[in-house]
This record gives sequence, structure tokens and C-alpha cells, in this order.
Amino acid sequence: MREDDHSSPPKILILATTSCAYPGADATGQAHLSYPTNTFIMNVPSPAILPEQFYFDCYDRGIGGIIVMSCGVECPFEGAYEQLAARIDRVSLAMRERGIDQGRLKLCAICTVCTKSFVKAVSDMNEVLAAQEVA
Amino acid sequence: MSESDKLPTPTPISTPSLTPKKAVSVQKPPLAAAKNDKTSGPGIGVYVCHCGGNIADVVDVKGVVDQASGLEGVAIARENSFMCSDPGQSMILEDIRAGRVDRVVIAACSPSLHETTFRSLLVRADVNPFLVEQANIREQCSWVHHNHEEATAKAATLVRMAVGKARHLKPLSPVRVDAAKRALVIGGGVAGLRAARDLVGLGIDVDLVEREADLGGFVSGLDRLYPDGEVAGDFVERLVSDIEGDPRVTIHRSAEVRRVGGYIGNFTATIASGASSADQSADQSADQSADQSADQSADSTSASTSNVEVEVEAGVVVVATGFRPYAPTRREFGCGRLPGVVTLPDFGRMLADLPDTASSLEVDGRPVRSVGFIHCVGSRQLEGVHKPPKGGTLNKHCSRVCCTATLQTATQLRDRFADVAIHDFYQDIRAYGRGHEELYEQASRADVIFHRYAGDTPPKVRKAPEDDENGLLVNVVDGLTWGEELEIGVDLLVLSVGMTPGDIGTIIDNLKLATSADGFLQEVHPKLRPVEMAVNGVLLAGACQGPKDILESCASASAVAVKAAVLLGKGYVELEPYVAEVDSARCTGAGQCQEACPVEGALELVEEGGGRRAKVNPAICTGCGCCVAVCPSGAINVAGWTLDQFASMVEAITEGEEVAS
Repeated sequence: MREDDHSSPPKILILATTSCAYPGADATGQAHLSYPTNTFIMNVPSPAILPEQFYFDCYDRGIGGIIVMSCGVECPFEGAYEQLAARIDRVSLAMRERGIDQGRLKLCAICTVCTKSFVKAVSDMNEVLAAQEVA
Repeated sequence: MSESDKLPTPTPISTPSLTPKKAVSVQKPPLAAAKNDKTSGPGIGVYVCHCGGNIADVVDVKGVVDQASGLEGVAIARENSFMCSDPGQSMILEDIRAGRVDRVVIAACSPSLHETTFRSLLVRADVNPFLVEQANIREQCSWVHHNHEEATAKAATLVRMAVGKARHLKPLSPVRVDAAKRALVIGGGVAGLRAARDLVGLGIDVDLVEREADLGGFVSGLDRLYPDGEVAGDFVERLVSDIEGDPRVTIHRSAEVRRVGGYIGNFTATIASGASSADQSADQSADQSADQSADQSADSTSASTSNVEVEVEAGVVVVATGFRPYAPTRREFGCGRLPGVVTLPDFGRMLADLPDTASSLEVDGRPVRSVGFIHCVGSRQLEGVHKPPKGGTLNKHCSRVCCTATLQTATQLRDRFADVAIHDFYQDIRAYGRGHEELYEQASRADVIFHRYAGDTPPKVRKAPEDDENGLLVNVVDGLTWGEELEIGVDLLVLSVGMTPGDIGTIIDNLKLATSADGFLQEVHPKLRPVEMAVNGVLLAGACQGPKDILESCASASAVAVKAAVLLGKGYVELEPYVAEVDSARCTGAGQCQEACPVEGALELVEEGGGRRAKVNPAICTGCGCCVAVCPSGAINVAGWTLDQFASMVEAITEGEEVAS
């Protein structure tokens, strides 16, 4: 899976919340679990900060899949998760209209100790992207 | 330092919805600011850490350095065995002082470990501490990837992302808010009392609000406390006597917080002293401070004067509202339906009320010859086995306290009534604290008979036939006898009920506090910020955060006091600068930002320059960014987390990538 090799799987952007998912990714490293190198974690206070256009810009630039790893209902920013979830729904619908596989966008909750869930989310997205490539 | 870099006079920021009485100011960066334009100034220094072999064993550090040195805006790229060590930091310091770099990218471990270290380094170098960005190439690269070539390529990309963000970094300053050296403590149980005691010890005056007429909360109704059998009343009395009569503590009894709002340093609360009797009112007026009681005492002598309201100010709010003991339904073990079924707190009170000379235990006039305890009532509930309350959820958590409390009560019972048979029905004995295991051993030696049930097959309880020697029959599938079904007669059945969240909806709604899935209040981080809510200045003490015993509640209360002293000690507080900021020139006053903002008073529309403009109150804004995402003109960003920073990072990831969608 070479970064500069066009035969390598598409790149996955992971939006990881500062309070939960980013430490969860750190915990995954501390546990020395392994996942593919096509994953790039971006620390965000809350993914609710990112407008819908951001997602389409990412796809346009060549990002294969986006995993939004939030704190879920335990988001420390009151009300932000609900807005995020609604936005992801809208983006997903718009993806279908634009002919983009909706599986390329995933919203999940990852806490500070969700190491296995973190690895599984990455694995699931890679499966989606691999199936899409085959298709 | 140019003229424009000098410290300006702080500009007060209006907060119409909350009418702050304290000055709020956003200061210009106190330190010489680096240029925020990648095309000017010395440039970015990239420092790649080996972390001994933690990184270098997997990643070709020199290769990463070589790639970084060719990136736009990068003036220097260097490596070191340990960038956090003195030699590593000195290397960076020298580059800054020599004018070679004016902002820094550290490629090393997670920022959670050394972000503070490197910010302090920049302060020592007279550079704004927010002009540093970290690339996490250890936890999120070398520790999760094993192929050298791929890991190196990924590390290089992570550095490219950090450099992309660093190009857009701007000097930031904490938001400074004048702070009242006063705390509002909500809840007069042991956590609230302990917090109040420690707060005044640290020079912070306290308003303590207790819903009941008496202080002490749940603990005041107990008999003896584990692990050493201390009398609960004596313990509470000690805590109360420490603050009662202290002029620095105003105690509001039989009172509730009706409204609370504001922000760190400047909270305002309305306390309603809803005395239900003349006695309570009299007590209350005696405890209130002179300036308040002057108006109230005349009215507080009759029940008709309930709901007297006073307004108090506080720099921090300590939520110490405790928990509610689980209330079993009539379906559960016959509680409230069968005579002789009581909860553990009720049984504790029964024991406390018994004279020391009592030679026997009785229930409804019947002698008690056999007592059963059932653990985990209202805790560790399972889908399909237990029914959640209407509109509620199952209590899946372990309440932690009940096992040891049950063991302590069982041994106490044995000490007082040697002839009573004691049966203990448990799932697991979770005696986790110091001295707790000893209670388990003590109970075992005292002939307490243990029966272990599985969570999906709890014991069944029914009334015994009239001719039975006991009043109740308990059927249990006992794991300790290889699944044998036993029928045990008891006269008294004690349910070890768990802890459930308290009823503090008003406080949660007013302060916009987050709760976790179990309904208890949710701290920012269980280890890094264990007593802080996401709302700055709101601190958590005791079991409102989740099941805690007295020791743990007192520990968290003391931690809260110290945290409050740190926050308020200087007379002002500095908030993280990650709050929304509006580019007035681009703002069209569309108003979506105000609709999206989940924090009342954090963002409003004001008349400015002949039109409506969004205006942020940095003291209240939590930096969630909800406003950023909906602004049609891109006029709002969260400082330190701007959309152009995110775009640059994505650009760095996809450099050379084909369009995939």
C-alpha cells in the first residue's frame, strides 16, 4: 500500500474529535494495533465546524473515503452532535444525487478507549473502497 | 516589536443577554508575533523526533526531514533523538533566537503529551505559544504501521499536513475575564460540604445551596460508613461544623437554584429559598449573610413567605448534587408489595434507629431470624431481563458502592445479632477499595452465606406460606453450588439498590451541561480534566458525575476546590483562544450563525457599520464551530481551527492525487 502508488487504495480522511476520537486514535497506537497507512487523521474540536461543501471538496481533491469519528451523544459541545448528524445526512443525500457512493462517508462514535472500534471503522471503509474499485 | 504588536488597552465586549458585571477582554498577543503569512518572515522550522527508537525504528527520520525541507514555507528541517529533551528544545530555541524560524512544526508523539512543553518553549523564545503545530508520527504512525517505506511516506504526509496548517497559524491570546473569587456550590451533601470547606480554605467565598433543611445529603441518613464503621452522623457533623458559622460561607437551606447563567468568572444564580415550614425559614434566615437576611428575615418566619429569591454571583459553579438511590418497582423482588422487603438505605436507617440495647430485630412485630441481601438491584441491568422505566433507559452501569456497603451492613448485623442467619445473593463481589476486601473476608468468617446468581437469572422472591417459619422465600440458581436451585426462607430482604442520576434538569438546561449515556454529568475527559465540564467554570464534585463512594466524592470535591483556586486565584481567568471570530467585512448579517449557535448568548446580531453583523462573546463561546459551518459568506472561523487550515491539510494529503469522485 504505497502512498505514491496509484494502485494503492484510496486515501481515507479521518475527522477525529479532540475530546474523544483523537485520543482514541492515540490509544490505538499505544495498544500497538495495526491499520493500513492510507489513513490520515485530522484533529477537530467538533466536526460540526465543517460545512457540507468541505466534504465535496475532499472528494473532488481525491479523498477516497471520509470517516467522521465523533464523540457521539457524549459530545462535550452541547447540541453540536445533533447538528453534525443532520449535516452528515444531508451530505449523504447530496452524494447520492451527485453519483458518489454514499458508503464513502461514515459517521461513527469513537471514545478515548475505542481502539478496536477505531480499527474496525478503518477496515470497514477500506472494504467499501475496495469494492468500489472492483466495481 | 512593532508599534502594532504592543499590548493594547483591553476592549470590553458586550454581552447583552447575560449583562456581565465583570470586564471581559480579548488581549492582543502578549508576545512578539510571528508573521501569519507564509510568504513573509523567516519561515517554518520542522523538527522531527526519533523518540529513541519509538519512531526511528520504523520511520526513516532523515528521509522525512529531507522531504520536509523542500516544502513551501519551510526554512529549516532538523532531527533529534528526543525533541522534548533539553538538547532538542535548545536546538529549536537557537533557531528561533537566531531569526531562522518564527513558527514551529514538531513531528513527534501525540500533542496530548508535549504540546504544553513546546508552547512553553515558544514563550521562552518570545514567540506566541500558538505558533506551533504537531505532527503525530508516533501514536498515529510508527506505533500502528510496520512497513518502513509506507510508514515513512505516511510520516512525510503528516508533516506536510502540519506544515500546511502552520502556514495559516496566527498568534492567539487567551480571552481574559475578571473573576469573582466566589463559588456557588449546589448541593449540601458530603461532596458539597467538603468542597465548601476546602474552597474557603483556599480563600474563595462560598454560597452553598441545599435543597433540604438539613445538610449532609444522603449520607446523613446512613448508620455507619465503610470501611471502618464510622458513625455517619458524626462524620457529617464534622463537615458541617467546619463551615457553619464561617462568615465566608453563606448556607442556603431548603433552597433551590432556580436559574443560573453566565460564564466563568461571572456566573449569576437565582436561589429560591422555598421553605416549607416556619422552622425551616427561621433556620435559613439565621444562616444567610447579613445583607441578604435584612430583607428576608422579616418575611421568613411564616410558611407563606416561601420562594424568597436571592441573586448571587460566583466565579465558578460547583455541581455537587449527588445521586438518587434506585427506586425498585413493585415487580422487583416484591419491593413495596411484600412485607419485609426494604432497600439498603432503609435498612441502614432501621439499624440506626434501634437502641444499642436491642436484643432482637423485628419487622412488623415479627422476629427476624433470617436476613437476605440482594446485590445489583437497579445496577448492571440487561436488555431483555430488566425493563427500563417509561421514557428512560436501563441502568447498565455498576454502582460500585453497593457491594462494600452490603458487606459492611452484613457484618454490622452479625455483630449486633449473632443468631440471625444472613444470606448474600450477589453477581460479583466488587470490593475494589482499600479495606473493602477485608470486609468481604470478615463477612465470610462471620458466617454470612453467599449465593452467586447470574445477571440473566436474578433471584425470585415470593411470600412464604402461612405455616412457613419465614415470611419470604427466595429462589436462586446458585453458581457456587454448580447451578443448584435453592429455596431460602428469610424474614427480611434487603435490596442493595444502585445509584441513579439526580433530578437536576434545571441546572443542566440552564448551564447547557452534557450528560453521558447513563444520565450522569459528563466531564471533559476522565483523566486529563476529570472534574471539569465542557462549560468553562462549571466543576463536578461527588456522585453527580457517576457512582462514587464517600472517599471518592471527597477526593473529587477537594480536586474541585484546587481547580477553582487555580482558575480564580489571579482575580481573572484566561480562557483558551479557540472561540469563534467574525470577519465583519465579510459578514452579511444573514443570521444562520445565530440560529445554529447552541449556546445562549454566545453569538448575536448587532447593528454595526450600517448593517447587521454577527458578534461573538468569547467568554461564552465554546468553540464548537456550529456557526462556522452555516455561514454563507465564510465570515466566521474558530481561531486556531480555521477552514483554510483544514483545506491546507486536505491539500497536503491529496497532493498529486487524481480526482476520485
